Parts: sequence; structure tokens; C-alpha cells
Amino acid sequence: MTSITKRTDHAALFAIVSSLADNKQAIGRRYAYWCNGAPALEAAVAAAAMTQDELGHARTLYPLLDNFAQAEADLSQIEPETRTLHYHLAFLDQDFQGWSDFVATNFLLDTALTTFFKAAQDSSYEPLRQRARKIVQEERIHQMHGEGWVRRLTNAGGAVRATMLRSLERLWDETLCWFGPADDLTMQELYQENMLNSTPDELRQRYLSEIMPTLNALAIEMPVRFDVETKSWQPSQPLPWSRWNALARRLE
Amino acid sequence: MTNEQAVYEQAERPRREALNESHVWCVYARRKYEEPLYEIGNVMADDVELAKVYARSIYDEFAWIEMIIVPRNSIVTIITS
Repeated sequence: MTSITKRTDHAALFAIVSSLADNKQAIGRRYAYWCNGAPALEAAVAAAAMTQDELGHARTLYPLLDNFAQAEADLSQIEPETRTLHYHLAFLDQDFQGWSDFVATNFLLDTALTTFFKAAQDSSYEPLRQRARKIVQEERIHQMHGEGWVRRLTNAGGAVRATMLRSLERLWDETLCWFGPADDLTMQELYQENMLNSTPDELRQRYLSEIMPTLNALAIEMPVRFDVETKSWQPSQPLPWSRWNALARRLE
Repeated sequence: MTNEQAVYEQAERPRREALNESHVWCVYARRKYEEPLYEIGNVMADDVELAKVYARSIYDEFAWIEMIIVPRNSIVTIITS
């Protein structure tokens, strides 16, 4: 679809929307494999519903790309059917190894993306603002699902708990990196133009404050510490920025 | 079943048993304010938050104005069928 005659020239916004759409699309595709493979019938139905939601979110985001001048370089890249660029997390390149990968993606990555959308609910870019509000509303139930299953798998103990922890660890760094380094030009530009209400570091702290209560309650130790002075969670070890691909917003 | 499958099944059984749900929640809903809540089905979940998610996912055929869940073991029977 190339109906737009006057396109917005904004590389940073184009990059972020591309990343959001690709991640939502990839999450939906990975979830889809588990619609008939979840540990319980109820969970399978919930997985199917969440698959629909995630693919739906991708379908509302991809058409936005057509509004940008950056799309003109290669119009095939704005349609999910013809797009060959994959700006989703490397974790999503492979099939999930088990249900715990589904739960980790639901709990960690999807919550991270929702943290971004929450910060864009009053965005100066209206199409993003509209979508952000709708997505945040739909994601409430996804978050309940993610937290519920992290509790279930962790409380099961033994090998089940160990598998859950491994999945969380495998996705941890890349999810925290997705917000970008403190001086991330893309996110900083959105922040300065009121398209987003937080800097990358603030988003990361807000995200950690969302997920850490659940992990703490389950005595799951992750490489973070609570800074008493700033009353915020901070990574306790450096994130792997040497492997960070700023264009694709993923680790290499 | 081959011997390898049997060994795999044996190894997986404790994991599956650890995830077996044991709590039944009755789901009630109504579509109009003038209607009473009525039982539309049930879900199995040991976690109340998951029970809420399951009820919303499974019984989404109507635009309900109200939906609640009740643990089945809290229901007191007065007249048995």
C-alpha cells in the first residue's frame, strides 16, 4: 500500500515502529506454535487469544511505516508479507525450546514492550498515541498470564523451576538492552520531541519496577540491585553493549 | 510405544504432575443489566490470576457486562440433585 503522498521524515520514529512491529509479529508467530501445546487446555486457549492479540498489534503497527519518507528506500520492507528485515530480538529467531520460553517471553519481553507503549500514551505522534492506549489496555491480561505462569513454574520446584530460571536468564540481557543505552539516539530523539515521556534509562527502571516484585516474591535472583537513594532498580552488571545492534535493536 | 518413548514419558511424568491443576472455578456472567448472573462454565487453575485470564479467554463469545469466578469448593449445597 503506497497511498500516502506526503510522508513524514523521521528516521528515529521509523526505526522504533519497525522494531515494535517486528517484535510483535515474531512474538505472535512463536506463541502460535503453543496454541495446542500448552500444559493445560485453559492455557492453550489463552495462548491462542494472546497470539491473536500480538499479531493484531503487529498489523496495526506495520501500516504506520507507510507514512514515513524512510519507507521509500524499499517499499517491500513495510509489508510483513514481503519484509526481509527482522528487527526483533535474537531470542525470537528460534522456536521456543519449551513452555518456559513462552512464559519468559510473555513475562519479560512483552512487558518491556508494554512499558514502551505506556510511555507513549500521550505521544505527540497521534497514530502511536492511539495504538499505544489500545495495546496497553489489551496487555493487562497478558501481564496477568505471564506473572501467573512464572509463579506456577517457579513454585513447582525442582527441574521445572530450573527450566523457568534458564528461560528467564536467556532472555534477560537482550530485553534490558532493547530500551537502548543511556545515550541511545533513537529513543532520546523521541523523548526530546515528546513522542515518549521517558529516557532509555527511565524506561528500563520503570520496567524493572514492574517485574521485580514478582521475581522477588519468588526468590528469583537476577543481576539487578535496588538503589536506595534513587529508589529504583538498576542492572548490577554491565549490559552486553558490545553485541548491541542499534539499527535492529537486538543482540548479535 | 517404543522403549525410548517409555523412558521419555517416565522422565516427563513428574514435571507434568507438578503442573496439574486441582482447583475448579465456576464462571458466572451476564450480558444485560436487567439479567442475573448465570453460570456459563468453569475453568481449572491453581492460581487465581490465571483463573481470571482463562475465564476471559475461554468465555469470550459475548460482550459480557460482568463476569465473576467462584471457587467450586466454596459452594455450599443445600438441596442435592
